[in-house]
Parts: sequence; C-alpha cells; structure tokens
Amino acid sequence: MEKILIVDGVTKEYPGRTAVSNVSFQVKSGSIHGFLGPNGAGKSTTMKMIAGLLLPTDGEIRLFGQKISPEKNDSKNLIGLLSENAPLYLDMKVENYLSFVAKLHRVQHVKEKVEKVMEELNLTQVKSRLIGNLSKGFRQRVGLGGAIVYDAPFLILDEPTNGLDPQAVVELRDFIKKLAGQKTILFSSHILSEVEQICDQITIIHRGKIRASGDLSEIHQKFRQGLVLKVGIGPSEKLPDLTSFGSYEITHHHVLNNEEQFLINFHQDKDIRYELSKFLISHGVKLQTMHVESPELEDIFLHMTETK
Amino acid sequence: MTFTLIKKELESYFASPLAYVLIGLFSLISGIIFFNLLVTYSDGIQSLPPNYTEQISFVEEVVLKFFANVNFLFLFFVPIITMKLFSEERRMETIDLYWLSPIRDWQLVLAKGVAALLLVMSLLVMTIIFPIVIWGIGIKDFSMLGSSYLAVILNALAYVSLGVFCSSISANQIVSSLLSILGIMFLWMITWGGHLNSNYVISEIFTYIGITSHFERILRGSIGTQDIIYYLSFVFIFGLLTVKSLGRRNW
Repeated sequence: MEKILIVDGVTKEYPGRTAVSNVSFQVKSGSIHGFLGPNGAGKSTTMKMIAGLLLPTDGEIRLFGQKISPEKNDSKNLIGLLSENAPLYLDMKVENYLSFVAKLHRVQHVKEKVEKVMEELNLTQVKSRLIGNLSKGFRQRVGLGGAIVYDAPFLILDEPTNGLDPQAVVELRDFIKKLAGQKTILFSSHILSEVEQICDQITIIHRGKIRASGDLSEIHQKFRQGLVLKVGIGPSEKLPDLTSFGSYEITHHHVLNNEEQFLINFHQDKDIRYELSKFLISHGVKLQTMHVESPELEDIFLHMTETK
Repeated sequence: MTFTLIKKELESYFASPLAYVLIGLFSLISGIIFFNLLVTYSDGIQSLPPNYTEQISFVEEVVLKFFANVNFLFLFFVPIITMKLFSEERRMETIDLYWLSPIRDWQLVLAKGVAALLLVMSLLVMTIIFPIVIWGIGIKDFSMLGSSYLAVILNALAYVSLGVFCSSISANQIVSSLLSILGIMFLWMITWGGHLNSNYVISEIFTYIGITSHFERILRGSIGTQDIIYYLSFVFIFGLLTVKSLGRRNW
C-alpha cells in the first residue's frame, strides 16, 4: 500500500533540550496509524511538525510526496487537526464556526457542506448554541467537524478522547472508525485498548525516540519471543512431557470452566499446533482448546518504554 | 478572504462586552476633557476685555488640545484593543486553524490590523458629537478639524501596527499590552530626546524617528511627504516584523 506520510530523521531541539531525536516512520494510505507514547514522549511535538505548525530543527517530512513547510501552501487543505483541546472560538455559534473554517479553506457550497458535517456528527441540535456553553464531548465533536469540513484526506488526531466521559469516548471513537478507508488518520492516545481497537498500524515513541513502528500484527510478531500456546485439556488431566518439541516452559496453569489451562512458552518460532495436537491425542489427553497467545499491546508498550 | 477575516475579528470584538466598555469609557473620558477645555476657554474669554478676546484662539485652546489628549488616551486604549489579537489565538491554539489553511500570514496580519483600526475609529466616531455641540453654541471656527482627525487616525494606525506586533510575540495578553504601552511611550520620549540633544544630526534623527513631531505637524494642517512616508514605513516595518514573528512557527 502507498506510503502517504514519510517522516525521515526528524529532530526538534529547544534551548537546552531535545524534544524529538531522529524520528522516522511511515504511514500507509487509508490506515489508522496509532501513535503511542507516555506523556512528554514527543507525540504532540512530532504531530505539530507533521501538520506544519512547528519547524523541525533537522530532517524532512513528506505528505503525499510534498515536503511539509510552513512557507509553502502546497500541503494546505490536505491536513485536518484535532488536538486534546480543539482549536475553538468559544464566542462563536457551532454553525458559524464550521462555516468560518470552511471559508478559510475556500470550500464550495459552504452551507450544504456544514449541514452535512453537523448531521454526521449529531451537531444539528446544538448548531445555534455558543461553543463556550457546550460540554467537552460536544466541543470535541465540533473540533472534529472543523477538521473534516474541508475534506482533508489526512487527519491528525492528538489524544482526541482525553477528558471525555465514557459515552462521548465511544461516540467519537465510532465516528473515527467510520472514517477509516476514506481518510488516512494519525491517532495518538495513551489508552492502549483504544489504539488496539481502531488502529492497524502503530508507532511507539519514548523520550523523543521511535521504539517500534509498523503493522500491529508485525509488532506483535516481532515482540513475541518463541511460541506461546494456550492449551486446555480435560479436568484433572496431566500434561505429558513435551521435550520432543524442544525446550519449553509452563508459565501459567489454572483451572477454568472445567478445563485445565496451561500457558506454554516454546523457545522456538515454528508453528507446531498440528503436531502437538496429534501428540497429545496419541497420549490419551482430551485436548479441548489450543491457540496461539499474542502478547498484549500493553506488554509491548511497557517493554518498549521501560527497558530501553 | 481577507474580508471574511476582518468580519470575524469585528464580530469577535463586539461579541464580548470589551468593545462596548471601551467605547463607553472613551466617550466618557473624552467628553470630560472636551467639557473642561471648553469651560477653560470660556472663562479665559470672559476674563479678558472685549477687544482682546481674539488673543485666545479657540482652535489652539480647544481643538488642538482636545486631539492631543485623544492621542494620550490611545496610549491605553489601543494596547487594550490589540493585546488579544494574536496572544489569545496562541493561548487557545486557534492560530492552528489559520496555519492549516491556505491563508497567508500577511493576510491574517492585515485583517487583524484593519479590524483593530476600525474599532479605534469607532471610538473616534463618538467624538463627532463635539463639533456639533460647538456649532450649536455658535462657534463656527472649524479650521484644522479635518487635519486633527487625520493626525489621530494616523497615530492610531501606527499604534495598532505596533500593538499587533507586540501581540504576536507573547501568548500573555498583559505582557502584550505592557509592551505596546512601553513602545508607544518610547516613540514619544525619543522625540523629547531629540529636542534635548545638542548635536544637530542626532537631534534631527531622533526627532524624525519619534512620532510626536509628525503628529504635531499634521495636527496643525501642514502635512508633508516626509510625514506620510514616516507613517507608511512605520506600518510596513511593524507589519513585516509581525509576519516574520508568525513565520518562525516556534511557539
């Protein structure tokens, strides 16, 4: 798939500190790319540089093949941005704000476009209200409306669900999922389950440096050391010796739903499920379940941000 | 596009009570000043014998002094008007909206400057009532009224361009307004420095850089090319500095 965003060796230095150092990653067209990192890791700085709101000290950022630069207007209209605190004029009415943003981007048929966006985001009911009088959930939706009202093909969402109540989080997340495929989205969050639910690619940044980047499945694969199988056998049964499959270790054992469950870590990568199932059955074991256990994104994240 | 931006800025001014408070306060203070000048002039006339009344000029004593006072009021009113222009956008991060759009920085600077100047001029509109009052009480000497308005408008233009620049360099509105006030005071003081300096060349340079000599000349109706060049270059330089300040994108 085409890479529409290429961040190449980007560094941002402030007097006395380096916010991000030699950051490189790529985002595929039509994907939702999760951008993960603890607070102060350099997520927002990197995203601002991608949006052209901050000049990098070194390196290059290319979006749709064009170099991002505040002086050049080529990349304008291509990027929609929604940050944790959406850029809103609190003294404006919802409809007027969206119309103003649309006019800034020289959108044709402003009225129709604004009405469509308000309908999509369920904002029609509050269109005549001042933004300053709205709840945070509604404000974020207005902010998202401002980011999509001019049909930018690339969206940067910087922790957009932060500080929202659970219902507002679900609504916003569902809308972002709906946008997948139509737009390419760079989505930063520190809620790992959220990233796992909606993103197909991730980049992990820590202390201004990239720790991992790529497809979520690839990162899971890369992080996995050996093969971890979750095996469930009949109640009170014992697991035979498995050394014929190489060295292994039982990392966890418990009884659940009338089943003896074992977490077995084989110190090799080959998929031996078929052979193992035959082996267990031939040893008279009632094999009930078996599947490959992937490491949780949380484990990967903690590993990346703690051990390096 | 610039028109859309100007309209938005003006709506933003008038959406808050600030614009109305400023207009009300300016009308009140300028009214008190005008009334005092008129009373002082009237007392002066009455204290003189009938044949000597022409020695006190109405234009000198009321019109010119009134506009000099208006210029003084701008020291506080203009920075209050300009302080939020960029500082507020930076604080609320709404500046991102413009930076993500095809709007050029100079268009934004121009729109904000024009909107601020229009608000300053709406303060001045309230003073039109004073010539009408004078007309009503039978004084018909209105010479220099036009040039006086031109002088204060040109000064307002210079102060606004300075204020817009100060607003672009700090996210704190108080800091922006204090910088503007100090900047305007510097423009006044540099002229006084010119008057005090015994070296002719330095004295001339200081007098030209300072705003007061240009203001006084135009106030008295003698508008020279050098004054027009001064105001135009002042606005151009501070406009350019503001655009450069925004272009750093280093906030």
